Amino acid sequence: MRTAFITGPAALRERMVAKAQVDLSVPESSMPPYMESFLAHLRVLIGVPFDYMVPDSRLLPDESIRFFYLDRSWTDRLVDGAVAVGKSGTREQAHHQAQAPNLQSQLDLTERTIRNIQTGKQLPTNSGPAGIITGFLLRSATVVGWPSMDVRAFSQIVPPSPGNVNDPGAAEWAANATAVQLPTLRLERLSPSVLLALFDGIPQLVWCEEPHHGIQFGVTNSGEAGIFYLDRHEASGELEPGSQSVQVPVRAANHRVIAIQQLRNQLNALHDPNLVPQTGSAALAIEMLQLPWRQRFQGAGSDRHPGSGGFVAKYSVARVIANPTLQQTVRELF
Amino acid sequence: MTAPPPKGQMYLFNSATPPLDDGSYRLTCSTAITGPINPPAFTKQNYFDIVGPRFSVPQSMVAGTFPPTNSHGAFQDSLPHIVLSRRTLPWERKLDPEGKIPPPAHNPGDAPVPTDPVPWVALLLFEEGEYTWYPNIPLDNVVPADVFSRLGSPASIQCDAVEAPLPLVQSILPSLEELQLLAHVRWVNVDDRELNTAGGDGYFSVVVSNRLPSPSAQCRAVLVSLEERSDLVQSNPPPVASQGPPIFEHPVSRPQAARISAGESFIAPGSTVFTLSQAPAHRFPPRGPIVIGFPPVQKVRLVALYSWKFTCEGPGTFRDLMQSLDDAMFGNVQNPGHPPLSDTGHLQISLDDRQGAVEQVWYRGPLVPWQLTRDNLGPYHSADQARRVTPETGAEDVSYAAAFELGRLLAASDPRLAQALMTWRRESYKQAARVDTISAVSARIPLNLPATLAEKLHCPIPPVASVSVTSAVIESGPIIADAHGLGKVVGAAGLNAANLASAWQISSAQAQNLLGADPGSLGAPVTAPPETTRGDTTLGTVAADTAGLTRLSAARTQAVKNAAVTLENS
Repeated sequence: MRTAFITGPAALRERMVAKAQVDLSVPESSMPPYMESFLAHLRVLIGVPFDYMVPDSRLLPDESIRFFYLDRSWTDRLVDGAVAVGKSGTREQAHHQAQAPNLQSQLDLTERTIRNIQTGKQLPTNSGPAGIITGFLLRSATVVGWPSMDVRAFSQIVPPSPGNVNDPGAAEWAANATAVQLPTLRLERLSPSVLLALFDGIPQLVWCEEPHHGIQFGVTNSGEAGIFYLDRHEASGELEPGSQSVQVPVRAANHRVIAIQQLRNQLNALHDPNLVPQTGSAALAIEMLQLPWRQRFQGAGSDRHPGSGGFVAKYSVARVIANPTLQQTVRELF
Repeated sequence: MTAPPPKGQMYLFNSATPPLDDGSYRLTCSTAITGPINPPAFTKQNYFDIVGPRFSVPQSMVAGTFPPTNSHGAFQDSLPHIVLSRRTLPWERKLDPEGKIPPPAHNPGDAPVPTDPVPWVALLLFEEGEYTWYPNIPLDNVVPADVFSRLGSPASIQCDAVEAPLPLVQSILPSLEELQLLAHVRWVNVDDRELNTAGGDGYFSVVVSNRLPSPSAQCRAVLVSLEERSDLVQSNPPPVASQGPPIFEHPVSRPQAARISAGESFIAPGSTVFTLSQAPAHRFPPRGPIVIGFPPVQKVRLVALYSWKFTCEGPGTFRDLMQSLDDAMFGNVQNPGHPPLSDTGHLQISLDDRQGAVEQVWYRGPLVPWQLTRDNLGPYHSADQARRVTPETGAEDVSYAAAFELGRLLAASDPRLAQALMTWRRESYKQAARVDTISAVSARIPLNLPATLAEKLHCPIPPVASVSVTSAVIESGPIIADAHGLGKVVGAAGLNAANLASAWQISSAQAQNLLGADPGSLGAPVTAPPETTRGDTTLGTVAADTAGLTRLSAARTQAVKNAAVTLENS
């Protein structure tokens, strides 16, 4: 008996390897924008239920932070599964088989743009195959209580003390820090108390900083009931070196109510040239702001990251008071 | 000033006022045309309202509170504040539009009077037991009648209210100038923030309370509306408590000190004047009838726009919480073995397999404590392709299969994605079909196509193909048809002189003679007769050439006859 010209499996194999497909360089065969963005969102785990990420709640107990590497094979399978929708025959399989390398390299680029699109920023210019993605999960009361904290990751350890903002070294420090900062791919709250962060690269240092819009107003307690002190802050928000603190006046009727007007008059009467002229609420705010806390997590990729922290020694408050252009922008907005 | 603050900095502003305050407005539009023809003046009036939050502030406008809602912590040295994502909110209404509150007294040497508008909100802090909370009561039960009428007597407004004794409210309510000082606007850098719908532009307004929470007290911070509350807001703050022992800047000798304590005044070296007055002697009031019970305390209610509770106890600042975090790589558990993770980070879970039997399988999520190599065996076309069996235990590893199925479910739940996938495939198939067509044509006709695939696909094939065919016909010289079958005749064995010579053992010249032809008379190319040049003819001359037409007609008849004979013979 004559042998068959071709067998079924062989025909399938031929079809699977034959590259009678068009690559993504052809505009008509590239991914529709919605599909591309959906798959790129999957790459950074958007939409993935929490149970899939943390299969047991004891892996992320209360008041804990867990650093991790992202398993790229896992996210690739996620994308494969999404593309498998509507894949009913060998034709679709052959198509996917041929397109897969292009699809992967395209998504490697697109996944880095998601946060920029979300935040409305300019798209990044880096290209090339996707690198390592790392990140952390933070479950803490700080996520609830201090929404929108600043989270940054650095590929090198940045020294903790930036120095005075007005020092010449400070600008250099800031430039160095920006140069080694890793792009943030995702920073989102998964639930009121769980924060997920993804970075493009392996960080040596991660810091979480108290949100600036939430910096509190505070006083220093003298230890004696009803007597509080206030440190003198310069115009940039820094502590005036070597200055005496100011006693805070309180109301006679209630010793825990600060006599704001009197305090302002006292600050004005100091005639301290380093202080801000007391022209309004912004100037008073500079005197009463407390320093935000910046928690640093650093380690050399070992399985424990020693946590240490420090106050942002010199956070900078640029003072813009009675600025007519602000009024202008407000007027344009409304 | 359009550049946002650089990272790590923020800008502070005294206030941000909207161009128009909330309220009802009348817009009058009239024409004023002057010219040779004076048309009648035209006037049109219209009304519009600007409506902002007035009796409650929605949660979506609150970008943050300090201390955090329902939190516990050491907040006794910090002033509570509320951060609003709408930067103009505190200045959108007028506290006292009719100017019922006199301007505050201003002493020489005081700080200059703030020129910014007075906010209509204040953040008041009440401790447990000092206040009564009324959720959702009618507005006219909250404010006095005259205030209600000045508010415009809005009908059927329900709002939250806080009620407290009048002396307490007076002791904590900021004065007119203090209200100005307790609200400001911040502009922060939002680059390294989590996504948030509120405050995306980095502008926030902040309203601060003036009262420090007492240690170990349960507190409620209330953002109250002071609109038209000229009955409560004072132009000058209540008196300030004496400031403890005075600090002498100059050495004071003992006798002088003694005189100070005696309540006199003196001039110290350096012209610093200290005046100490003796506290009035405490005297018992004259005895009279003893009143049993307390006089009724007057209470006031305020419209509560937003409120939250917190407790002032234990460590709970950002710093304390961050310092006490349990930090480790993913997969570290506090109690080893709970849950039982394998050394590869896999967790054993039970799964119902296809037969319905419960099976123990391994699962690991996308978060791993080590750097892993990316699997390059993809793409996978079904979840079963991604199932693995671990050799040590014989149990299955469903991690990647689970990821595949999850991706499939997420995609299937999105109809728009399914549409996009179909579009993607359809367009690809179309282009693939074109590629096939082009390669099939190229195999037969050398097509002059662009080099890159994309340009090749966008090149129209039929004109290119016809050009290629035509040029092939023109450039390839040889005869393409043997109209009379002479080739076959020459190819016949009996007519070939060489074959005859070898078959009959005769010389080739004899064979040629036998065939009765000169060498070369068969198969020689026929040279076409030269074209006769003619002058230009017209249709008229052709029609007049009767002889020519007759010949043509005869030739046609002969051709038809020949065709008929050929058909009969075949």
